[in-house]
Amino acid sequence: MAQDQHKESLPLTHPATGRPLPKREQPGYYPGFSTLKQKRYWDAATRKLIEERVSREKAIRFFTPEEARTMEAVVDRMLPQDDRIKERRVHILPEIDDRLYHDRLDGYRFEDMPPDQDAYRIGARAFEQMAQTLHGRAFHELTVREQEEILKSIHQAKPQAAQELWKQMNIERFWTLLLADVVTAYYAHPWAWDEVGFGGPAYPRGYMRLEEGEPEPWEVEEQRYEWDAPADTISDAEEMHAQGAGEHQVHSGQAGTH
Amino acid sequence: MSLFEHNRPVGGPFEKPKDDVHRLGSMQQIKVPPPRFKDTDVIDFAIVGVGSAGGVLLQRLARAGFKVVGFEAGPFWDTERDWVSDETGSHKLYWNDLRITGGEHPLALGANNSGKGVGGGSVHWAAFVPRFHPSDFEVYTRDGVGADWPITYEDIEPYYDLLEQEIPVAGPAWYPWGKPHGHPYAPHPMGGVGDTLIEGCSKLGIRVSAGGPVAILSASHGDRPHCIYRGFCIQGCKVGAKASTLITHVPDALNNGAEIRDCCMVSRVSMDKDGRADGVFYFDAEGKERFQRARVVIVSGYALETPRLLLNSACPGHERGLANSSGTLGKYLMAQAGNVILGRFENLVRMYKAPPAHALTEEFYETDPKRDFARGFAVQTVGPLPIAFAKQMMASKGVWGWAMRRNMMDYNHWSALGLLGEILPWEDNRIELADGRDGRQDARDRFGLPVAQVTFSLKDNDKKMIEFGKNKVMEIMWAAGAGEVVQESRYAHLVGACRMSKTPDAGVCDKFGRTWDVPNLFVMDGSVMPTQGSANPGLTIQALAARTADYLISQHEAIFTSSRRDMTEPPCRKSLAPPGTFTRGIPHLR
Repeated sequence: MAQDQHKESLPLTHPATGRPLPKREQPGYYPGFSTLKQKRYWDAATRKLIEERVSREKAIRFFTPEEARTMEAVVDRMLPQDDRIKERRVHILPEIDDRLYHDRLDGYRFEDMPPDQDAYRIGARAFEQMAQTLHGRAFHELTVREQEEILKSIHQAKPQAAQELWKQMNIERFWTLLLADVVTAYYAHPWAWDEVGFGGPAYPRGYMRLEEGEPEPWEVEEQRYEWDAPADTISDAEEMHAQGAGEHQVHSGQAGTH
Repeated sequence: MSLFEHNRPVGGPFEKPKDDVHRLGSMQQIKVPPPRFKDTDVIDFAIVGVGSAGGVLLQRLARAGFKVVGFEAGPFWDTERDWVSDETGSHKLYWNDLRITGGEHPLALGANNSGKGVGGGSVHWAAFVPRFHPSDFEVYTRDGVGADWPITYEDIEPYYDLLEQEIPVAGPAWYPWGKPHGHPYAPHPMGGVGDTLIEGCSKLGIRVSAGGPVAILSASHGDRPHCIYRGFCIQGCKVGAKASTLITHVPDALNNGAEIRDCCMVSRVSMDKDGRADGVFYFDAEGKERFQRARVVIVSGYALETPRLLLNSACPGHERGLANSSGTLGKYLMAQAGNVILGRFENLVRMYKAPPAHALTEEFYETDPKRDFARGFAVQTVGPLPIAFAKQMMASKGVWGWAMRRNMMDYNHWSALGLLGEILPWEDNRIELADGRDGRQDARDRFGLPVAQVTFSLKDNDKKMIEFGKNKVMEIMWAAGAGEVVQESRYAHLVGACRMSKTPDAGVCDKFGRTWDVPNLFVMDGSVMPTQGSANPGLTIQALAARTADYLISQHEAIFTSSRRDMTEPPCRKSLAPPGTFTRGIPHLR
């Protein structure tokens, strides 16, 4: 799917001046930092894997063309990249498609959820039906704001339409499944590592500056800048503190941490 | 071309070894011998699962001269070829096959708590190795909840001493909690997350153990180099500094004649007419079903696959599953509360450096009459890499879209501490078969075998413990100077479901893992635990396995022929430890 079919939001703006900020080759607070430039210090197996991830041809084989069109638009709002120049955007949907096509599971399914593949097909249909019912247009044709309002209602488990479809699964778990897949695809990419200042693969060289957040000689110091999310979006204000919600939280099934 | 051309690997590519040679870490290599036994041979011990327990059992029994085969559902790794410094690229280390999870507080499975491949979960554990406390073995007597173990701390203590040297463990010279003890290797230097824990605890007057106990080398040991602090512990340690049975015990097992059949999934334990196990059915790497005859079967498949195999082995005379006359098989499953508390700091932390496991406190481990719940919790460092952290931001703050991007750009400002809390054993927290019967789901694996269906719910004591513990960790995070503190609920580790007991009516096996119903069928892994404490289970699993190996060896021929149950504690055989175990001193401060 060509990048230029993606709906663009308005630009990021400077909080003080309200002026639009230019798109960047590399957003984030570590200008010039590149994990890929360190790849000759990585072991062969890791280097091969990451090089393939960056250069691999992106195919859609699980989703139908119609589903892919909807889900591309959904993914664009779940993890927006409008601040990146087009050549430096991470392809997210093909990674999800690849997982579903090859049936790569996370090792479990909640008893109130269908198989992941069915969940995605139901979700794609439901997003599309919501767009048609609420706005009379396809999901990918909605404004950024309209798309985000639909996603927000799913995040809050209160869909304004397509209830019959959403009833087929636990809607909170579907949100978690979708967002976990999206962030897994994005933050697996070296460009995202550069953005957040993660050092990336470090074998066999290792790290030596362990304390006080000190950079390695090949890492860079943080240089923060202020930015406001695009004026036509609401997701930056969406922070539902789940703190204390404890028992009601949906578990993400992330890699073990201890 | 410049010497600094980016594509050229420093030092050139690693030498490619021959097909039968596996690289285990960056220095160690092992030549895998050709298969030694045929299916028609009667081997002494068939061990199902070569993980934390299976790896140690295999090594001990091979060294003692027995004919022993380990069956492992996953591959025999070559760490240089198969493992990567990458979060998503390490997905294959986990048990990713389908399981069904439910109940009021469904457990995340897969990556969270089970491994597949030689070394099992010890390949991707964070490698915290605290001992259980003496009180853990008598929870029912002390607090009137949970269960007592059929053994005491003193029974397992020599094996803690021994395995801490075999692994070997890095940690402080004086570890003050439980029964105080020292560690053979020096504690590790601190990383940013450890400094958070030390800072917060020091402000609040809470004691901290810095730099261990962890199963990660702080100095080189034989053909294993020391830690390089790259932070990819739970993605599998390519360095060979973090211990897994793959690199600590499997090489010695192979050198002493053990055979490992990798990519072989055991489907059923077979029973003969006399009520004894006579071997295992398994699917080999080509998917062909085969049968291996064996005189003793030991199931070491961890807390889900072990009960699943025994349930799938139901047969005439054992209609409810093998070794289930008590009705407890699959019940009393436990996970520990593993809430992650995240704090944002003004200064950079860069928590991807240093092992995730490098400092902890057990100050709240024991029952405190001033609190309104029994038992307690530990607080440990956690070092999530970007993908794990993004999921934590999703769960703890509910962010998506631009807020996800914004929070993630601050990744290096966050530090993460983990609660590790003792959830008590409850009968209805359980594993059943997803066989479509009695309202259960119907889900099968690629061999047509019903998968595990897990049901998990917290009870009142557990909820009170989590609430108190979570707030305590948040207090520590605030005291460390965080400007924002959030938390994510989750669970860590899986034990129980085939618990050991004093009497046949209360559990699946006796104190050596010998099942009460079948004299030559043993269970030995985390599933035998009656309670779990607030300690990571890995070290205790390995210590229990070494003790059971000593028991099997001390029984001589009787273990193969007699149904008489000798309950005498065996002598602890240090002579069976891998080479190089006793070359270092251990500080023993009294």
